[in-house]
Amino acid sequence: MTVPSLTFSRLRRELFATPVDSVITLALLGFLLAVGTAFLRWVLFQAQWAVIQANTTLFAVGRYPIEQQWRLWLLTGLLAAASGLCWGLLRGRGTWPRNDQLAAGILIALAVIGSWALKLELPIQLRWWGITALLLMVRWAAGRWSQALPAPLLRLVPLVWPVLYLVGMVLISGGLGLMRVPPGEWGGLLLTLLEASFAILLCFPLGILLALGRRSELPLLRWGSVVYIEFIRGAPLITLLFLGQNILGFLLPGGLAPDRVWRAAWVLTFFAAAYVAEAVRSGLVALPPGQLEAARSLGLPMHQALIHVVLPQALRVALPATVGQFITLLQDTTLLSLIGLLDLLGTARTVMANPEFLGKNAEVYLVLAVLFWCCCAALGLGSRALETRLNPLATSKA
Amino acid sequence: MTSPTALPVMIEARGVEKWYPNGFQALRGVDLTVHQGEVVVIMGPSGSGKSTFIRTFNALEDFQKGSIVVDGMPLSNDVRNIDAIRREVGMVFQQFNLFPHLTVLENLTLAPTLVRQRPKREVEQQALELLERVGIHEQARKYPGQLSGGQQQRVAIARSLCMEPRIMLFDEPTSALDPEMVQEVLAVMQELARVGMTMVVVTHEVRFARQVASRVVLMAEGQVVEEAPPEQFFANPQHERSRQFLSQIN
Repeated sequence: MTVPSLTFSRLRRELFATPVDSVITLALLGFLLAVGTAFLRWVLFQAQWAVIQANTTLFAVGRYPIEQQWRLWLLTGLLAAASGLCWGLLRGRGTWPRNDQLAAGILIALAVIGSWALKLELPIQLRWWGITALLLMVRWAAGRWSQALPAPLLRLVPLVWPVLYLVGMVLISGGLGLMRVPPGEWGGLLLTLLEASFAILLCFPLGILLALGRRSELPLLRWGSVVYIEFIRGAPLITLLFLGQNILGFLLPGGLAPDRVWRAAWVLTFFAAAYVAEAVRSGLVALPPGQLEAARSLGLPMHQALIHVVLPQALRVALPATVGQFITLLQDTTLLSLIGLLDLLGTARTVMANPEFLGKNAEVYLVLAVLFWCCCAALGLGSRALETRLNPLATSKA
Repeated sequence: MTSPTALPVMIEARGVEKWYPNGFQALRGVDLTVHQGEVVVIMGPSGSGKSTFIRTFNALEDFQKGSIVVDGMPLSNDVRNIDAIRREVGMVFQQFNLFPHLTVLENLTLAPTLVRQRPKREVEQQALELLERVGIHEQARKYPGQLSGGQQQRVAIARSLCMEPRIMLFDEPTSALDPEMVQEVLAVMQELARVGMTMVVVTHEVRFARQVASRVVLMAEGQVVEEAPPEQFFANPQHERSRQFLSQIN
């Protein structure tokens, strides 16, 4: 049992080396303790969480029609199953490493404590438990039986996600026999995630094309890309959002202009694409020119050289900056509330304007902050995992 | 050996002139004829245009005047023509330029499967045989970053050979190597010359030039100064510029 004493001596060495150090350490500890207890006291005893508990559905999906909400539950279930499947295939092998146990524990705790703290109705609580159980069961099954499946079938698994995205779009908006739910009725977290995922998925390929265009030898293509990127980067997003709401209505003949929600999604996409293009360009610049020369001298035509040699390396370099851009994009969706859309922040503002919940801003904003933090942390974790996976020589811990 | 002039011409460069965009003239009317099976070594001080010259053969550099015919195909700006020539001409670079995100084996199989559209299994078989030939068979599943410089350059040679080129260009293949690794790369090149590959080599390795070259070409200031068989070039150079260069590298 030398470890605790080692830690203790190290603490003493680093935090209490001199009397001045000790005073600073104690003062900071006291300050942190005071702030921490005050915050906890407020969270546990003073804050009135009824404003959240009474509006969970509103925060989650806005004014999505109640009798159609089963579609969203179905989608959540499908997402959970797909996540479990990929989780099991990537990390399974019939075992649960310690980090996976931790993740499973957090998921179960979220389902139980979360639904208890939010005072969800029993049927809804049951649904969350069911979805969590589904996720963990699929993960277990996928890990256990992945070896038995033929390799060509396993290679098709990533296709689950684009298919699921299209299925999700149909489930959310209707069509194919389902009742239509116009975008104006989507709201809350649903709208936020929808706008963000749509923009993230489309701005990425668009950004790559712009970055390649900016380095093209064709003057028209190069200058077109430069003008586009610099124009977008020179304008604040909020002005572009207002511009998008107003100008598209003028430019396109009546009825052709997409719905306000989709207009905003396209503006977000075009906005983020310019920034992604600059991130990708930094990756392209970092690549030694000999790579393209080697590929071309082997007889690869330009597009194959780009797809197989240049982009895989450039995108790996650009990945951290690109994901940073995605995270910014997710947070930028809050601006949609300023153009009158009921995203997470917009919904929160309507709730806070309700006389019944007047003065409960702190509670609402805290929950919003936690929700956004969770989404962004997930993006960040995913990108770091991808970075390690993409680096063939990831032996250094530095 | 038969007289090289009896064999078909693989590269025919006539009066090649090149200006860089800043106005500097890198090539001032260079002529060169390479026959099948010949090993032509180009030497010269740095900045003499020798690298630029062999890079025009597979259109990595353009040129403004003159003409180049490679394996019967005149070089033009047509993209298809350029790709066709590059399929027949392999190139080995000073900095190896292996693809770091692919394994050694994938480095070899990438172009044949994509460009020649040959079945993957067959190409892998051939790639493993080539790796065996250059002596790094057991490293096939490693990434280039895990190999020494000499091994990387041998992989780069094997990668070019996997496209079954009719001509191989070497642009200072040993200049970036630690001294103890130069020999292993030169040995592979020597073996390649022995089996009759047409080669144009830019190098400073005098011993390689003496032993392997059919002809040595000395370039200076963007022009060919002297062109002679190695025994004559090293023992009895005809031009003052050649004597000066040889005295500098010895």
